[in-house]
Amino acid sequence: MKNCQETVALLADYLEEKLTSEDHAALDEHFAGCPRCVAFLRSYRETPRIVRESTGAALPEEVRVRLERFLTEKRRK
Amino acid sequence: MLAVMADVPLAALDDEALAERARAGDDAAFAALVERYQERVYRLALRLSSNPSDAEEVLQEAFLQAWRKIDTFRGDARFGTWLYRIATNTALMHKRAARRRPAGSLEAFLPQFDESGLLADLDYQRSARADELLERAELAQRAREALDLLDKDYRAVFVLRDLEEMSTEEAARVLEITPEAVRQRLHRARLMVRGYLGKMVGES
Repeated sequence: MKNCQETVALLADYLEEKLTSEDHAALDEHFAGCPRCVAFLRSYRETPRIVRESTGAALPEEVRVRLERFLTEKRRK
Repeated sequence: MLAVMADVPLAALDDEALAERARAGDDAAFAALVERYQERVYRLALRLSSNPSDAEEVLQEAFLQAWRKIDTFRGDARFGTWLYRIATNTALMHKRAARRRPAGSLEAFLPQFDESGLLADLDYQRSARADELLERAELAQRAREALDLLDKDYRAVFVLRDLEEMSTEEAARVLEITPEAVRQRLHRARLMVRGYLGKMVGES
């Protein structure tokens, strides 16, 4: 039976399905009896999505134009 | 061969064929690669360098480096991987991104456990709903802060693997580290960013 700390340590491998079937089952067993770790897993999974949706933007047209001009000038030299 | 190839629209060629032509001095082929990758390189630069003016400098410098080094692209890697490596290194060495962050600035947001290994995450119910509780603009601001506070080794892995959604193996090839190192850094980065977002909710 794994405790919370051991469970949290293995979350990345758990989600990538890199764990042995024994460890995977041990984590499932822990989740079944630990609402804290279920909530933790949920927020751990959500974190990349939140940051992904909050960062990164489309290339502004003026930046694209300046890039083209910049590269054209540099290649002429 | 080249005469026949010349009739093929550049947009129909794959990256490696365009790179081959660019290496032979075909400026239009290089321009086609820029066209193909500029959105992705800009987004990557923005995430790694955290402000639009630095991201623009990184974008320009990365493509300039790619053009200057195109002779060293040998086609044993995918062009995208090679270009992402240049862009990532350029971004991480750029003035603002390269500035040293206070050691352990996000370490305080790692999960805490008691002596029996029980998760001492009292805000867990609130932090699990971070995106429901926070206004979108506020959450976006905090997410950008979290990225900015991450040490660059963690940031690079988190951005490539979780934000650009590369596979662990491709992120490893871009960063020239092992897939195992990607997984370890990714896990720690997620824990710190998660804690930062959650903690802010708990404090608000």
